[in-house]
Amino acid sequence: MGLEEKLPEGIITTQLEALVNWSRENSTWPLLFGLACCAIEMIATGTARHDISRYGSELFRASPRQADLMIVSGRVSNKMAPVIKRLYDQMSEPKWVIAMGICASAGGPFNNYAIIQGVDKIIPVDVYVPGCPPRPESLLYALDKLRAKQAKDTFRTYANRNMHASPNQAQEIESLEALRRLQPA
Amino acid sequence: MLNVAPRVRQYETLPSLQPPGIPAAAPLPVGESEDTRRIIERFGDAVLAAGMHHGQQIVYIKPDQLVPLAEFVKTDPHLRYETLIDVSAVDRSELPVSDHRFHTIYQLRSYSRKQHLMIVCPLEDADEPTAPSLTGVYSGANWPEREVWDLMGVRFAGHPDHRRILMPENWPNHPLQKQVPVGGEEVPFTLTWEDPEFESLGKQILEAKSVPPRLPPGMNLENMVINLGPHHPSTHGVLRLVVELDGETVVNVDADLGYLHSGFEKTGENKRYKDFVYYTDRMDYLSAMSNNLGYCLAVEKLLGVEIPPRAQALRVIMAELQRIASHLFWLSTHVLDVSGTGMSLLMYATRERERILDLFEMACGARLTVGYMRVGGVSRDIPPAFLPHLEEFLKIMPEQIDDYERMLTHGPLWSERLIGIGKITREEALDMGLTGPMLRGSGVDWDLRRDAPYSGYENYDFKVPVLNEGDCYARYLVRMEEMRQSLRIIRQAVDNLPDGPYRAEDRKITPPPRAELDISMEALIHHFKLMTEGFHVPPGMVYHGIESSKGELGFFIYSDGTARPYRLHVRGPSFNNLYAISKMSKGHMLSDVITNIGSIDIVLGEVDR
Repeated sequence: MGLEEKLPEGIITTQLEALVNWSRENSTWPLLFGLACCAIEMIATGTARHDISRYGSELFRASPRQADLMIVSGRVSNKMAPVIKRLYDQMSEPKWVIAMGICASAGGPFNNYAIIQGVDKIIPVDVYVPGCPPRPESLLYALDKLRAKQAKDTFRTYANRNMHASPNQAQEIESLEALRRLQPA
Repeated sequence: MLNVAPRVRQYETLPSLQPPGIPAAAPLPVGESEDTRRIIERFGDAVLAAGMHHGQQIVYIKPDQLVPLAEFVKTDPHLRYETLIDVSAVDRSELPVSDHRFHTIYQLRSYSRKQHLMIVCPLEDADEPTAPSLTGVYSGANWPEREVWDLMGVRFAGHPDHRRILMPENWPNHPLQKQVPVGGEEVPFTLTWEDPEFESLGKQILEAKSVPPRLPPGMNLENMVINLGPHHPSTHGVLRLVVELDGETVVNVDADLGYLHSGFEKTGENKRYKDFVYYTDRMDYLSAMSNNLGYCLAVEKLLGVEIPPRAQALRVIMAELQRIASHLFWLSTHVLDVSGTGMSLLMYATRERERILDLFEMACGARLTVGYMRVGGVSRDIPPAFLPHLEEFLKIMPEQIDDYERMLTHGPLWSERLIGIGKITREEALDMGLTGPMLRGSGVDWDLRRDAPYSGYENYDFKVPVLNEGDCYARYLVRMEEMRQSLRIIRQAVDNLPDGPYRAEDRKITPPPRAELDISMEALIHHFKLMTEGFHVPPGMVYHGIESSKGELGFFIYSDGTARPYRLHVRGPSFNNLYAISKMSKGHMLSDVITNIGSIDIVLGEVDR
């Protein structure tokens, strides 16, 4: 290690990419946003016993502009779906999504007219957490998984990502009626 | 993104899961009571039937006499039914009856006489059913009637604000009508990725388009109209409020609900009785035990099954622990919204709440959505380690409540923000159909545990805190005292915990113990029948209310004699209590709206259901 031998004490060298990923991993700020039962466990994760601040994620931001991580904590109803889509679009890149619980992942026990069968129908999801609701430990494990994913990110993938490709209009969501009309009876 | 081609492949329909049993309409009430006699005297032929059914007073009335009847029972000095508790409706198109497709059903309560009255109103028109609106008599009928219109499609003539309340405004149908399917997505049963069944995945639903916001009726654009929620840190979930402001003063508030509407009632009609217990957990997820209890009691009322004393005591212990846990969570979030010292109290209160969750975990394995109770008892006995841990909790908890009170009660910040805010008088509370701490904070001395005891509450000695001020501070004090009284009840229940079975021995309702399956063929048959088919419930209709932490949690069940409820309706306490937000907030500051939301103690899972 030629360079480091010549540097004064207290200075280390690293890749810029690794430094950026390291800082992102350790201060992923979630969006302060709860939907249903899982939100209660999300709050429990934030309180003293489970202490989400060990992961640098204790700062729940109420504004999507300041948040990096959306924890979809609970079932997503038809009425709420456009709102979630809009919130996601308002978050600035880079951004990640955890689908917390079986309802957000796949609809769970609510296979009916009111509930979207998984939030991945409207926004991309990075980590799925099973459970109804998942225990706080599961959510922390999901954060671990997310950190592993963040650590692998490269500048090249950012450069290739078309950030303007995602439709910003919530109106673009297809309607069921339209789908049904196309379907032969 | 979702512009994929719709799947063309049709699924073979699954074999019908309709359980055996011949559907039958609920029988008419028989016998008579003092109240029904008085109503028949007054209304004569307009009363189609009246009498008792499962211990409830029921009156069938013609639609044109419904409003006069409501006025009569409200004002008559011998009846005095001050409050409308609930409105629901039944679509009878799948019952073996040909007349009156829709019935609207009203639950009335007399607090002064401790009486409950159910009014059933058969509607004539099957296609466009119309019922007279009771909003002129009880203003609390406003939201429940809107809910019935939204989900069941029954119009209410003379309703002042006839809009949908839960579903999006452009929703094409009324989901609780029987011809409307449950909806959802079919689950592929295949093991190969090449199977075309997989093509269907991810190509589902989304009916709700984002619609441009509309100004709620009665609002004036000359003032500032702002939108609070559905994504807002202090609306306790996905509540949306449209607030009209004159400067900082609130002129008008309109609540937009339904962002967490999950179709519980429709789902319940397609599940067996025993399977719906787990759904009730997810309704008011802060008091899952109370929801379990309310549902089981309603089904048990229809079945007429006797619950062993140990099961009753266990239910009381769990329900009271849940009340404390729920109040702790209410306290911590309320303080977080209102006062600057919030974060520390959130940490303290959730620390004690975690202890209660540990106890639940010991008893049933889950922290939040417990599913502990069963029709006929509880799912399992408590483990030996439960009672010592509970003792420890009972020992430390009173001091902790004193601690919270020391931080808040006489604090200048806390009292400045709460005293005199969100005032509700006694008459308003009765008129709006408020229940629970909202009612007791306004000076009505009523608690279902004491005044209509269930699950053995008559054996416990406890006080019901009542304050007359009717503001947020009074409700805060009421809830704090309720926690202490709950501790007293648990103390008595633990001291007198009876031995014996923890669920009813009726093999038609509860499964036999595992050991019995090895030696008894009959037990095996019973187990098989229960697990595959469920138990059948005799035809009838019941309403049962319990005192949940938020107020009266009522379950209305219409049984047609099969293993699934024909109609299941939930009276969520937060739904009716939230109706008061408009009255509470008018004339106060915008920040007081947040105080009022916290003070009502809503859980959106229960408001929207």
